[in-house]
Amino acid sequence: MEDEFFGEKCFQYYCAEFIKHSQQIGDGWEWKTAKDCSDGYMCKTEFQIKNGTTPSHLGTPASVHTGFPTEENLELPVDDSEVMESAAASKVIKYEYHVLYSCSYQVPVLYFRASFLDGKPLSLTDIWEGVHECYKTRLLQGPWDTITQQEHPILGQPFFVLHPCKTNEFMTAVLKHPQKINRNVNYITSWLSIMGPVVGLNLPLSYAKATSQDE
Amino acid sequence: MGDPGLSKLQFAPFNSALDVGFWHELTQKKLNEYRLDETPKDIKGYYYNGDSAGLPTRLTLEFSAFDMSAPTPARCCPAVGTLHNTNTLEAFKTADKKLLLEQSANEIWEAIKSGSALENPMLLNKFLLLTFADLKKYHFYYWFCCPALCLPESIPLIQGPVGLDQRLSPKQIQALERAYDDLCQAERVTALPYFLIKYDDNTVLVSLLKHYSDFFQGQRTKITVGVYDPCNLAQYPGWPLRNFLVLAAHRWSGSFQSVEVLCFRDRTMQGVRDVAHSIIFEVKLPEMAFSPDCPKAVGWEKNQKGGMGPRMVNLSGCMDPKRLAESSVDLNLKLMCWRLVPTLDLDKVVSVKCLLLGAGTLGCNVARTLMGWGVRHVTFVDNAKISYSNPVRQPLYEFEDCLAGGKPKALAAAERLQKIFPGVNASGFNMSIPMPGHPVNFSDVTLEQARRDVEQLEQLIESHDVIFLLMDTRESRWLPAVIAASKRKLVINAALGFDTFVVMRHGLKKPKQQGAGDLCPSHLLAPADLGSSLFANIPGYKLGCYFCNDVVAPGDSTRDRTLDQQCTVSRPGLAVIAGALAVELMVSVLQHPEGGYAIASSSDDRMNEPPTSLGLVPHQIRGFLSRFDNVLPVSLAFDKCTACSPKVLDQYEREGFAFLAKVFNSSHSFLEDLTGLTLLHQETQAAEERTPCVIYTHPSTWPWQLRPDVCGVYIEETRGRKQPAPNDTPVLPYFSSFPVYLFWC
Repeated sequence: MEDEFFGEKCFQYYCAEFIKHSQQIGDGWEWKTAKDCSDGYMCKTEFQIKNGTTPSHLGTPASVHTGFPTEENLELPVDDSEVMESAAASKVIKYEYHVLYSCSYQVPVLYFRASFLDGKPLSLTDIWEGVHECYKTRLLQGPWDTITQQEHPILGQPFFVLHPCKTNEFMTAVLKHPQKINRNVNYITSWLSIMGPVVGLNLPLSYAKATSQDE
Repeated sequence: MGDPGLSKLQFAPFNSALDVGFWHELTQKKLNEYRLDETPKDIKGYYYNGDSAGLPTRLTLEFSAFDMSAPTPARCCPAVGTLHNTNTLEAFKTADKKLLLEQSANEIWEAIKSGSALENPMLLNKFLLLTFADLKKYHFYYWFCCPALCLPESIPLIQGPVGLDQRLSPKQIQALERAYDDLCQAERVTALPYFLIKYDDNTVLVSLLKHYSDFFQGQRTKITVGVYDPCNLAQYPGWPLRNFLVLAAHRWSGSFQSVEVLCFRDRTMQGVRDVAHSIIFEVKLPEMAFSPDCPKAVGWEKNQKGGMGPRMVNLSGCMDPKRLAESSVDLNLKLMCWRLVPTLDLDKVVSVKCLLLGAGTLGCNVARTLMGWGVRHVTFVDNAKISYSNPVRQPLYEFEDCLAGGKPKALAAAERLQKIFPGVNASGFNMSIPMPGHPVNFSDVTLEQARRDVEQLEQLIESHDVIFLLMDTRESRWLPAVIAASKRKLVINAALGFDTFVVMRHGLKKPKQQGAGDLCPSHLLAPADLGSSLFANIPGYKLGCYFCNDVVAPGDSTRDRTLDQQCTVSRPGLAVIAGALAVELMVSVLQHPEGGYAIASSSDDRMNEPPTSLGLVPHQIRGFLSRFDNVLPVSLAFDKCTACSPKVLDQYEREGFAFLAKVFNSSHSFLEDLTGLTLLHQETQAAEERTPCVIYTHPSTWPWQLRPDVCGVYIEETRGRKQPAPNDTPVLPYFSSFPVYLFWC
């Protein structure tokens, strides 16, 4: 394995290892391949019921627009076997985390976005509302202050991105010690455990254990 | 009857979960493939039974929904459906929802009768999606339907739902997990929507629906089935069970009295798998002779208000390229706050309304830099047309703009800004600014025109926050300088020489009610005040304007000039530098808590603690490209200034256009007489012998040699000394009572 240089092969290898463990513990990380190229990315979707002050999204019944027929006119049969659910669906937020490789920076990059169930996206401020208090001070410093909006290179849809310009710098520091004592470390695990929490992504401890057991 | 709550089985419906990727892909399909084709399309979604508690039941459609061969996510159950995308909102409204539901229900019914649903249980979970995509507004109208056949009577519960761990031992549960996993693996599927179960104390067996006759051989009155259940509620099964119970009733009610249903819920938390929260209950199979007709069906999703009706989602925020450009620009600017200048108040910058007088080399560069700062409101004023020499130096114009006589600059510039960034609110005014010494009284028509131009300019200055003076003559700056001073607007002035420039903010007079009498009186120049302290801590209201340092009134500066003096010929990089500095100066002023009243920073302050998060807030930046050097002079407002002195402002405010017309129509002497400059000239000439003042000036500092204050390398009070003028430095008279300069460099 290369030492200083984190190549694409290296990236894919560590992702595969990472996903192997994810499958064992069933926390939903997957590898996805772009349709017409060999590139791929690692991704995970997570749902959360909103907390804090993030506004719940009630969406818009189309009937607010004039000209929609009223319910009675639709003559649809009534159903007495349906459970009347609470408005829980309006509070559900879907978080998507994608890990891609940046050829220019030669580091992994975390893409993410969050939306309500009808696809309406949350703003960055709304996303941060959902982040645990203890990480909020971190938002303004370190590598987390470099969030931009970019098109997902494979999906072509807008995502938020934690810019990779600082990644190499702090990862070198992170990996120094384990390298010194010759300990096996999964780059992706270490990196994601640092980057993830500030955008609501938490890694179970077992990932770290899994790597050291592999030795 | 016992507990009425238990007597009747109810089902939790699916919530449609339409990922933004689905809408993106629908947009692409509509634009590139479907176009006007409204025929139904096959799509594919999935549902999941491993959610943590509290999450509602969802049927999810992603960007992969249109690819029928796309893999289903791990542990999820696929569902196939039909997309009806209409071309118009009207077609969406008038689509016969009842008929669509009946057709779909009928397909399910046929699959049950024919037995094909036993072979392929996915046929029981069909869904419908009716959509209309308004791709101009990125509004998506949709109505989701998951058809469920209704049994003629409700289904009686024999034994109410309990958690699986209350019915099965841990050992049995483990055996169930293993049997289910093995079957999934053997079938190479991510999940089994429905399966058959047989269990005793020691073993649990599961099997596919199609093997029911063998599998259930020997069962007496009760059979057990499993359903992959996306629901999380402890009392209710999810929607997929509904059509399956119809199948069970149709197929097995003759042979068995009841069905035990396991709603299989399978989640993994922190690496630990758990199916014990699955629910299990027993229902009586309705004994009924089905008619061959399809039973009544339900399934259109209720909207967010709980009524029967479609929904709409507005995705312009993430799909409209214009909105995306805006949010990207904002986010990029915020990077500056997050990373480098946490206290930067971006709103102050982004919300400022800028009036650019002059849309030439300076105007274009200023506008570009304003856009870089996210400024959204930019207005141009210019009276020129774009000529062939312009585009190479004026970055808002192209060759095409010069053809056929050339487009008016102000309009073309505004149009181009809008093209570069649609989020900007740009407009242009093709108009002239009346100037001192340029008579407007040739006829009533010209006088009226001048009156209208003045009015227009007054309105424009009134409706903007920052006024940029970026014209190519000195005298055209006079009128806006007077109006802006009177209206207490921040003025940023930039002017170019060949290889020198000045960028400055005009002093901002105190608000009117406080009295404007605080101009710097000349006695401040008393010898005791000289030295570094004289120009330290000068508040914004005491600062000079562009004309304060002049000892002649503006007149026709282009008359009697050679061509190279008339056209501002400057080194090409100069306008870019000066234009950028003008904007950066504005931004620094805006960041200061006192804005235009901020104390002026000078070159001396370069080593001190800066007053704003962005650093210094100078009064002037004077640059010398030949030396690649800038200095930060500070100068005081002059009580005899031809633009901002109380005499001029009073006259303007009292007489308005009548006063202005006099200025336009007469030579300099009118303003010089008014302000007392004439008198000053006479006095200083008389006093010259007694109190000479020496200025060491740099010969290349200013194109208009009228400007004696400019950019001395060093200035010194030499009152009372013998003139020590070294070699070529000109000794200029007048200045014994003149507050102008200060700096070391």
